[in-house]
Amino acid sequence: MLYAAAIAIFATFALALIRAFAGPTVFDRVLALNVIGTKTILLIAVLGFATDRYDFIDIALVYAVLNLIGTVAVLRYLIGDKESA
Amino acid sequence: MESLLMIGLLAALGAIAITVAFMSDLLVVAMLSGIFSFTCCALFVLFDAPDVAFTEACVGAGVSTVLTIAAIRLVGRHEKRGGRRASVVGLVVATVCGLALVYGTLELPRFGDPASPASTHVAPHYIEESKGEIGIPNIVTSVLGSYRGYDTMGETVVVFTAALGVLILLGGAQSRPLGRGEAPARRDRDVILRTVATLFIPMTLFLAPYVQFHGAYSPGGGFQAGAILGGALILYGLVFGIDALNKMVPERILRVIAALGVLLYGGTGVVTMLMGHAFLDYYAFGAGPSGQAIGLTAIELGVFMTVTCVMTLLFQRFAIRGVM
Repeated sequence: MLYAAAIAIFATFALALIRAFAGPTVFDRVLALNVIGTKTILLIAVLGFATDRYDFIDIALVYAVLNLIGTVAVLRYLIGDKESA
Repeated sequence: MESLLMIGLLAALGAIAITVAFMSDLLVVAMLSGIFSFTCCALFVLFDAPDVAFTEACVGAGVSTVLTIAAIRLVGRHEKRGGRRASVVGLVVATVCGLALVYGTLELPRFGDPASPASTHVAPHYIEESKGEIGIPNIVTSVLGSYRGYDTMGETVVVFTAALGVLILLGGAQSRPLGRGEAPARRDRDVILRTVATLFIPMTLFLAPYVQFHGAYSPGGGFQAGAILGGALILYGLVFGIDALNKMVPERILRVIAALGVLLYGGTGVVTMLMGHAFLDYYAFGAGPSGQAIGLTAIELGVFMTVTCVMTLLFQRFAIRGVM
């Protein structure tokens, strides 16, 4: 059951990856980056429960807390670009 | 089922690497590198290496993307294309190096081979004896902190050296005068981000000491905790402005603490020597696990101090130069 969930999460991961490759705008890619971050959190958590390794949840927790930073940095960059232009 | 996921994730890694090679927009490359890091982390989890995955999560999720983007701010967003000749030479060099590496792997033992040197040399000793000798259940922490403590000291010094290099290249001692207050308009626009960050940053601050002190039982330790705390400070700087971050943790204090961390690590080794034991032999502080506990706590604290301050320092340096 949990493995079926893992496969489903991987499928959405792959879809977001295609969006990251295809673009076309930078905002599509920011969104894809964020979605992939979220899917990784879920994938790690599901795998942790599927293999009875509950300490995996710590890794997911770190991603949950830090995933925001990369997205904010990209958007800050784009705002700066717009203001200086 | 797990192997199916592994194949999928490895295919994703290959696809990302190839796409990165064709991209000339460095901002997109930075984002794809972030995705690469996420994929790697999921793979490490699948390969049952949670400590490696944890480090990848701490560094890859936030800090590395931010620092890459801060560097792009300085060097410009678009890659300058070399001539056709340059790309042909590059292709040849890359192909030859790649084939040499593939040839090198032919001699390696098969994946998971129980007779390989990695599984027969010191690993059985670590697995069977570390609980009694060091007294903590996480074998990785025992190896990193105690058995191979000397190597970890080298890594801490490398992190510190990276900060020194950036400080020398990007202006060193004098920083720009503070007090370039943000325009009120900007403050209104970021209201969602500011509210979310106000809730988020305290939680991150709680997570760092947990990772630091729980490193004996679960994945984690000084390096990961330092990267998390550094990430929290970087997020603060991104959301509330670099001036606010400078006011909270001035650069000169960060520089001193980063150096003190290395000093604490090396000093622990010198103290054990003065007490008549080998360098970084924590049994000097007491026989059995109690001495190890004192030594490990000291060196993990040193790593934590250095990594936190170096991460924040690098961001501050880049941000002041690039006006992020």
